This record gives sequence, structure tokens and C-alpha cells, in this order.
Amino acid sequence: MSPHGIATVAQQEFRLRIRAGRWRVLLSIWFAVLVLFTCLLRAALGGFSNEDVADKGIVIYGGLMLFVLGLALLVVPALAAQSVNGDRERGTLATLQVTRLSAADICLGKFAAAWGTALVFLFVTLPLVVYAIAQKGVPVGRVAVVTVVLALLLGTVCAISLALSALLSRTTTSGVLAYLAVFALTVGTLIAFGLTTAITTEPYTSSYQNPCPSASQLPQDLPQAQRDQILAGCGQTQTFQETRSRTDRTWWLLAPNPFVILADAAPQLPPLTAAQKRQRQADEQRGVFRQDARDIDPLGGLGRAVRGLREPPTAIGRSTVGYSQVGPVSGGYSSQLSIALDPPKRRRPVWPYGLAFDVAVAAGALWVTTRRLATPSRNLPKGQRVA
Amino acid sequence: MTSTGAGVVAQGVRRRFGDVEAVRGIDLTAAPGEVTALVGPNGAGKTTLLLVLATLLVPDAGEVRVAGFDPVREPDAVRARMGWSPDVFGLYDNLTAREYLQFFADAYRLGPARAKARAQELLDLARLAEFADRPVHVLSRGQKQRLGLTRALVHEPEVLLLDEPASGLDPRSRVELRDLLRALAAAGTAVIVSSHLLGDLEELADRVVFVDRGATVGEHRLDQLPEATVARPWRLRALDTDALVAALTRNGYDHDVPGPAGVDVRITGDEAAADLLAGLVRDGIRVVSCQPLGGALEAAYLELTQ
Repeated sequence: MSPHGIATVAQQEFRLRIRAGRWRVLLSIWFAVLVLFTCLLRAALGGFSNEDVADKGIVIYGGLMLFVLGLALLVVPALAAQSVNGDRERGTLATLQVTRLSAADICLGKFAAAWGTALVFLFVTLPLVVYAIAQKGVPVGRVAVVTVVLALLLGTVCAISLALSALLSRTTTSGVLAYLAVFALTVGTLIAFGLTTAITTEPYTSSYQNPCPSASQLPQDLPQAQRDQILAGCGQTQTFQETRSRTDRTWWLLAPNPFVILADAAPQLPPLTAAQKRQRQADEQRGVFRQDARDIDPLGGLGRAVRGLREPPTAIGRSTVGYSQVGPVSGGYSSQLSIALDPPKRRRPVWPYGLAFDVAVAAGALWVTTRRLATPSRNLPKGQRVA
Repeated sequence: MTSTGAGVVAQGVRRRFGDVEAVRGIDLTAAPGEVTALVGPNGAGKTTLLLVLATLLVPDAGEVRVAGFDPVREPDAVRARMGWSPDVFGLYDNLTAREYLQFFADAYRLGPARAKARAQELLDLARLAEFADRPVHVLSRGQKQRLGLTRALVHEPEVLLLDEPASGLDPRSRVELRDLLRALAAAGTAVIVSSHLLGDLEELADRVVFVDRGATVGEHRLDQLPEATVARPWRLRALDTDALVAALTRNGYDHDVPGPAGVDVRITGDEAAADLLAGLVRDGIRVVSCQPLGGALEAAYLELTQ
């Protein structure tokens, strides 16, 4: 393996790609779709005049990046899924293998060309990212992290597709399987999580003691019979049968999902500064109410939700018990006990596991590709020609 | 120029693909400065053997040295010294001929300046200079074949392995290919050519290795081909065809009805042919030509590969 060898293959692949495809048309369509999406999203946030969402950039940027990821996952498998077996079909692989290029040179050169092409697509979204930033609220750190993670995720898809093209002799099969692999990462993880979560749902018993309100705490017009009932039940223990999902056991199934990784890796927004809070209060006193973009932040919201899944639900028997009155009902009052699970006290990140998994898969895919390109070969897969 | 190269030595090469034993004991030597022809019917294992020599396949058994190195354990050393052109290959359609050769020059680590110069040399050699900057897909089949062949020469290999290099070439290109390979051999390259065009090989090769059903069945210098044991047709042509036929009939030779190209006579071996010719000359028949039909190599080939 040598930098010169990798560069030789990568340049060659890149040159062939540029000459073979209608890249201008493809990139134009890509950009046009993203522009359309951004405009619609901006319009959905209240049009171009109504200022009811503060820091729109947060929502536009987050939505755009998730959309870019989704669209890229549709484009990127095609960039590498026929790279090795396509060369074999065209009879240009063996002549490359007998040169002084090593198997790793060929593998990494092809990977670099595919990934580089994917990054060109990412680069084209730059004007829209600038637009989103101009809409205020997007921290620079978030842009940096999201860009890097997005690039790594696209590289993973390139590496998996490349390995499939090296493992399978037919280009159509490897093409289909590359899309299936992306489907497995995106939808498959969701399905697996959903189904296993249903399996891990378990019953649990919570017990509580009836509260002991003092007579003065109860409403004056509470009928005497109910008043007696409440006071009589004071201090008694009641048990409840509940079910709860143990997503703390299955959250990792979601971790390899590219959308989960991207959203969770995006750093959470900093809390409002004192000045921003004052501004907001002043606005509200003037009767201008704005929805805080933090509440509808697509990246942050998805990230928080996933982190919440990772934490175990409240330990058995420690559920909080609330006592509330349900408004005046004809005939009297009723008391209701609401049982809520404790909200997670901490939210640990999920993305490092997912990203590490995906990058490890990518590294494995490149290793497999190199192995399959290594010559002289001892075992040939059925139906595969050497040259 | 005398050569210091080691050529190719292969002994007892075996290679199996699943249930099929494609090569089951091929021996072959190819000395530097010589053209060695690899001849045998389809499926005899020629291509498989060349793949082993070209560092692409691990043989199941056998000793192989290419340019003095083991293709399995030292493939890079072999690749630096060996050029290979397969029977079927693709070109990168969107490249120009010059870019194609320069890419391989890079792949063989020639260095930018040398790569550029070498590409031009090869374009001149392959008579493709006028197409140098046009995309490969506009080239004719023969031109593509020549371009693919010159690719194998990019790094001036001391061992050259060519699998059916003449297929698709027009007669002029075949003559040029022959001259090119002779020139390379004269410069010390060990050349191995597999081909079905036995007539071409006869004028090109110094030695011939016959293979059949995965094994070597004969290895000969071209001027020392084995004696024929079976009657083969020889074609005779004389100024007076009628007199020739009459003489043949009189002497009891098994001959065909004369055609425009001459009369075919079945005889066994060079001795018998010389006797026949001497007899005809004695009888006053003015013989113009007498040669084995398809050439001596074809006769030997048919003899060895039943």
C-alpha cells in the first residue's frame, strides 16, 4: 500500500466517473430538490413575514441536514456498488491487479473516489447551509460536528457498497444489496427496535400510600360521604399493576441508524442567555409571542428522545404519586391519582456507539474488499472469472 | 544484446476449479531471447497456466519461477518484471489512448516524466499516434487489441505473457505483431504466446510447447518438430497439373481431385515427402511447391493433440 498507488487509482476512478456520468445534470437536480425543500421548510415556519419562530436557522439547518442525509443515502450506494465487479465484467480489473498496485491501493483508491464523489454532493449543499446559518441560531460547533458526522456516515455507505461489489460477481445483485444495506441501517434498525421493545415490555407493580390531606385542604363543598372516604383511606397502601418498556435494554439497536447518529451527535443548543430571556419577556409583555426554535429543533429533539430511551425507567416501586382533583363534576368531586414514571435524571449520548459501530463496519468492509482483490487468488467464488 | 534474465520455468503445475482440473501437470520453460509458443486445443489449460504465471492464480501444486521469482510468494517482484495481456480485456472507454498508457505507467511506478515519454513511444510502436488524444472507444477492434498489447509493455518487462494476442488483428497487424515480438525477443525478453494461429506461430516462435487436457504433451524447438506417424495432406502444385496427377496415380499415392490451389496428397512424414518430390522430379514433373497443408506446426499439433 502506498499513497502514490492509492492516488493513482483514485484519480483514475474519479476521471472515469466525471467522463461517464451526467454530473452537472445530477448535481443540479440534487441542488434543486434541496432548494425546494428549504423553501418549503422556511414557509412552513410561518412564511417570510410572520416572525413567530425565533432562531429559525436552528429548524432549517436541522431539517435540511436530516433531509440531505436521507437523500444522500439514496444516491451514495450507487457510487460504489458496482465498482469492483463492474471492472471485472468489463475486463479491466485483472490488468490492474498485475501492475505494481497492491490490493489495498486498488481498494482504497476506489473507496476514495466514491467517498470523494459523495462529498461533492455534500459540498453542493453549502449555499443552503449558509442560508440556514443566516437565519440565526445555529452554533458553529454544531455545523462542524454535523458536517464531519455526515461525511463519516456517507463514507460508511461507500465502504459497504464497495465490499458488496467485491463479494458478489453480478453488478445488479450488489447494487440491490447495497440499497438493502442502507435500508437495514435506516428502517431495519427501527423495526428491530420496535419489535424487541414490545418483547421486553414487562409488567411491574407499584405501590403507594394514600395521602392524608387535612380537612382544610379538601374542598368545602365536597360531599360528606366522599370526605369520609378519603380520610378513612388515609395512609393505606394501594398497589397498581402497570407495564413498562425496557428500552434501556434495546436502545443500542437504534444506535447504528444514521439519522440517530447525526441528530444525537449534534451538540445540544446552549441555554438562553440572560439577555435573550429578558428580550423574550419584553416581547411577551408587548404581546409578541414567539415559539422557541429549541422546542422544535429537529436534531436536538431527536437526540434527546434517543438519549431518553437509553435510560432505565423508574425503578420498581419508586413511582411518584400525584393527588389531584378533577374539576367540578355534577354530583360531586372525585379524587384521581396519577402515576408517572420519573423522567430520566440523566441522558447519556447514544451516537458514540452508533458511529463507532458504523465506522467499524466500514473498516471491516474495506478489509474484506482488500482481501477479495488480493492476488494471486487461491479460491475463486463460483462463476467468477479471474480475467 | 545478451540477456541476463531468468525467463520462465514451470514444473508440474496443477490447478483445479471445483470439480474441473483445468491444469494437471504442465511443464514449460521459456528462455530469455526466445519466443515460446503455447499451443493446444480450447480448454487445454493455456489461459489458466498464463494466469498462474501472471501472479493472478495460486497453483494447487508445482514449481513456478517467473523472471527468477515465485509468483505466489513474491508477486510484486514478478509484476515489476512481467507483462501480461489476457485473451479478453477491456479498455477504459472514456480515456484517450495516451491517458490509458500513462495510467498504467503510473500503476507501474515509472515516474511522471518517464511515463509521458513511454506512452509516446508505445503509441508510435502501436501505430496509434494519430489516435493518441481521441477516446479509446473510437478505435477499431484491431487498434484496441494493439493498445491492450502495448499496455503489457509499459514497464519494459523481461517476461512477456500474451494470451491469443493476434485474435482480431488484420493481416498487416499480425505481421507487425510478429516483427514486434521478434524484436523484443532479440532484445532479451522471454516471450510466451498462446495462439491458435499456427501459421503465424510458425514464423514467430523459436520453441513450441504443446498442451492437451491440462498437461504438456510435447516441448520442441520449431526446427525439431517430431516425426509424423500418421498420414497428413500435403499440397503439391506443378506447372502441368494433369501430368502431376498422372504421376501420382501411377506411383500409387492417395490423392484428392485437383483444385485451383493444387493437389492434396496424403503422406506420412518429411522422409516420405522428400521421396515423393524426388520421384516427381525424376519423372520430369515441374513441381512449383510442396508443403504440408496448414504447415509443419499444424501437422505436429494434430499429431500430438488427438
